[in-house]
Amino acid sequence: MRYIFFSLLIFYSLSANSQTADQIIAQLVSKINLVKDYSVKANIKADIPMIKVLPVNATIYFKQKDKFKVISKGIAILPKQGFTDVSSFLSNKNTYVAVDGGLKDLNGVQTHVVTVIPTVENSDIVLAKLWIDTKNKVILKTDLTTRGSGSVTMNYVYGTQLAFGLPDQITFTVDIKKFKMPKSISSDINNSEKAKKSKSKIGIITIKLSGYLVNKGISDEFFKKKN
Amino acid sequence: MLVRNTYNEFIKIIAKPRSYIGLGVLTALIFVILFAMKADGSSFVSFVTASFEQTLSFNGNILNGNLIAFIILQMLIVHIPLLVALVTGDLISGEAAMGTIRMLATKPISRTNIVLSKFIAGAVYTLILTLWLAFLALIVVKWMFGTGDLIVLNSSGLIILQEQDIMWRYLCSFFVAYLALLTVSSLSICLSAFAENSIGPIVSTMGIIILFTIIGSMDVTVFDSIKKFLFTTHMASWRSFFEDPVKMKDIWQSIIILVVHNIVLVAIAIIKFNKKDITS
Repeated sequence: MRYIFFSLLIFYSLSANSQTADQIIAQLVSKINLVKDYSVKANIKADIPMIKVLPVNATIYFKQKDKFKVISKGIAILPKQGFTDVSSFLSNKNTYVAVDGGLKDLNGVQTHVVTVIPTVENSDIVLAKLWIDTKNKVILKTDLTTRGSGSVTMNYVYGTQLAFGLPDQITFTVDIKKFKMPKSISSDINNSEKAKKSKSKIGIITIKLSGYLVNKGISDEFFKKKN
Repeated sequence: MLVRNTYNEFIKIIAKPRSYIGLGVLTALIFVILFAMKADGSSFVSFVTASFEQTLSFNGNILNGNLIAFIILQMLIVHIPLLVALVTGDLISGEAAMGTIRMLATKPISRTNIVLSKFIAGAVYTLILTLWLAFLALIVVKWMFGTGDLIVLNSSGLIILQEQDIMWRYLCSFFVAYLALLTVSSLSICLSAFAENSIGPIVSTMGIIILFTIIGSMDVTVFDSIKKFLFTTHMASWRSFFEDPVKMKDIWQSIIILVVHNIVLVAIAIIKFNKKDITS
């Protein structure tokens, strides 16, 4: 009888937490869905091992659910995944389960940690851990583990567009794999330096976003056009 | 007299059909590269960025005129010496082969000035070849592919140079590349002073370039001490202008070594030609 009682108690508490996590995600998704499309000016600063690049200005365009385009006069480096993947992944609630991870303090803000696990086999996202500010219904931090691109951590800073849940700054911390630059590829045969092999390091890409134009309407054709 | 003889030497160069082979081949090669880039340039770009593309995405116009100009310079700087040697390797030995060297030596001009005028004429021809390459690579290519940031892959990783920071690098690069080609010209003229036929100095020049390039590219410690003195090592020093920061010390060292090579090779040619027993 005692075992049955404890089993029921554990089951109840787990289901209660799961429901809470689902509710939090549902609130988050409803806020994400407020934004049908947007364009924003971005200043992209990439600090990546073995890549030297100055900050670049670009314009980023997004349209629900996963249309994304970057127009830049220069060469802008962005993480392969993480920019729109989380919001489009969360939008389809049949493809994942959300597990409550409890409350945690993140830089002085009380957050609800929710771990999202995909239920479909072909999902590129393996695991997403979200630190959610339930008061403002926004994600403050995401740890994203993907099949193709390793793990990406995103930290969000909100300001002018908090009402739409759009950040003013995103900092991506990317797990940079070991890159080997053979001399044959670099064609730098007379360079006396040996081809360098980078150790596994962390790359940080900071994107400052300003001048949002939200829900002004962007045609699908725009995303098909080449820059 | 030196100027007039240099002018005559240059007239001789432009009168030879082989002088146009260089310009023609150069033009054809560049248009082949342009065609390849237009048809399948994106695969070349992904080859450059492949090491990073698992994690990062590169946005913007990567395949632009600046990148293609860099590719052209990198591909052709290895082959242009052949086009230079084809003309300059014939300057003295060609006269010996045709029997005109005796008449040339009877002119009221010193043998030293004869060699110098041939060297200057060869230098002008090399300059025309380099300027033509620069014109095609920097003006025609940019007109066709537009401009943009330059992405360079070297042994230390990827460097992305901003568009407004590129032109001066190209101009300096073409200057150093010219100096390297001038060394090839001087080498072939020097070898030409020793030969009695046209083909010998041309083949010998290419043979020396191939030998030195192989020595320079071998990661064997026994060659480390001599590598820095081989002119072929410094033929690629134009690439240093596309480093960030620019390795000015290395570039100056390369310039000095190339200039010394030119002086020594022309001096050897002068000494040999002055002592030459002209019997043809």
